Amino acid sequence: MSSDLAFALRGVGAVVGRNFALRDVSFELPTGYVMGLVGANGAGKTTIIRCLLGLREIDTGEIELLGHRVPAPADLRQDVGVVLDHAFLVGDWRLTEVERALRPFYPRWDGARYRQLLDEFGLDLRAKVKDLSRGMSMKLMIAVALSHQARLLLFDEPTSGLDPVARDELAGIIGDFLLDEGHSVLYSTHITADLDRIGDYVTLVHNGRIVRTGTKDEILDAYRVVRGGPDDLSGLVGVELIGARRTSSGTEALVRTEEADLLGGDVLVEAPTLEAIAVHIGARAPRPEPRPLSTGRIA
Amino acid sequence: MTATARMAMLDLRTIAPYHYQSLFAFGASVLVFGGKPVWLLPGLVLIFSAQIAPFPFRVADKAGLETLYGVLPVRRRSVVYGHYLWAVAVFLATATAGTALALLLAWAESVPFGGRTLLTMLALSWATYSVNIAIQFPVLIRFGYTSGSVLGTTLPLAVIIGTLYKTHLTVASMQDWIALVAVVGLVVFAASAALAVTADRRRMRHRANWRTA
Repeated sequence: MSSDLAFALRGVGAVVGRNFALRDVSFELPTGYVMGLVGANGAGKTTIIRCLLGLREIDTGEIELLGHRVPAPADLRQDVGVVLDHAFLVGDWRLTEVERALRPFYPRWDGARYRQLLDEFGLDLRAKVKDLSRGMSMKLMIAVALSHQARLLLFDEPTSGLDPVARDELAGIIGDFLLDEGHSVLYSTHITADLDRIGDYVTLVHNGRIVRTGTKDEILDAYRVVRGGPDDLSGLVGVELIGARRTSSGTEALVRTEEADLLGGDVLVEAPTLEAIAVHIGARAPRPEPRPLSTGRIA
Repeated sequence: MTATARMAMLDLRTIAPYHYQSLFAFGASVLVFGGKPVWLLPGLVLIFSAQIAPFPFRVADKAGLETLYGVLPVRRRSVVYGHYLWAVAVFLATATAGTALALLLAWAESVPFGGRTLLTMLALSWATYSVNIAIQFPVLIRFGYTSGSVLGTTLPLAVIIGTLYKTHLTVASMQDWIALVAVVGLVVFAASAALAVTADRRRMRHRANWRTA
């Protein structure tokens, strides 16, 4: 197990219900960085996070989390903070009661830090969880995670439903968290604009498979957006048009950078944004039926 | 504090915001059974404790606390055992308060309430409570409060009433079986906790995402 990695998934497979499975999922995040886990709704982002936390059994492969093989000792979860777009706490708890309820589970709980963070985030200690807005709930969960001194933050779709100001604030909070080199963040989202500011690495997920993983620049360099007339992008040999959108006036698609050179001169080739990559990959073929995974269960 | 004890404390914290409702339920139970001090304790346990013990499941279902249990640094086994420890604590608290109240009311009303009758009532209360929890908790743990509460509450009552009806038990006849009744309750309770761990494992396998947790 490598201590330089915040986490690593190697060949992970997991069948989820009748219609979905993670297949051969492999990617890793070095300690000290932010990774964006990008994919459409239902791509498998949440399932990957659940597998990472040991909340879902995997059928094949192995997972490493903060230097331990998953399922890891329960104590390891002290080093992991989970932030969703809602607070998974009793709605009638006041924020003081949140601390009273959670503090016994975390030997490193820092009550002064909790109160300081709530103050910084503009959260009233007497407020009830159910009265917090989505953005405030998320800040509360971040305050909880930072108060028990988590080394790895897992965000699952934290910004869906947040306004741009709150999303910007979140980016700032994550930036502060990463001032400590031992801290890392996995950030699952379908709003790629968030990653333009804070993402170091990006992993693209589609239908339970990893399409590509690497640094943000590597991902951006790996694809090109191409646009052409109705006939310019048809009948091409050796070029896969990813998520092609055809209209009466023309076609737009994503291609791998190495295949872009094979296109004719009438085709407009542009560097993509993360959003363009996510949109075209998300528009690929529908989800395949899962087949039983053959190798033995390890987790 | 062990992880199981911390989970039991979390159950207490979970229902703490609703302490007024709990006190109201306790007061109402006392009013109903206060006229018959001998039956106050079993009545409190059957009506009050059996409602309070599964209350954290109800709040947890509404608040999505299964996700919280999943990310806390405790093993799943401790989560399950924590619920059972909480149930024991509820019984002990009710038994303590109920016994004191029953003795006080018996003294005030000049009702004879000897030590052996008290022990019998304690044993009967424990037995009915443990059977109730033993059936109810695995159902709630496997299916959640929303799906399992109807089955979880009616099934144990049917079992308890059916057993009392079939065996024609009376206070006098039970006095010879105090120890056995208490031990049966303990065994049933422990077996249920073991079963609940398996039920919880099955539920974890079938949970699809955070929100359906």
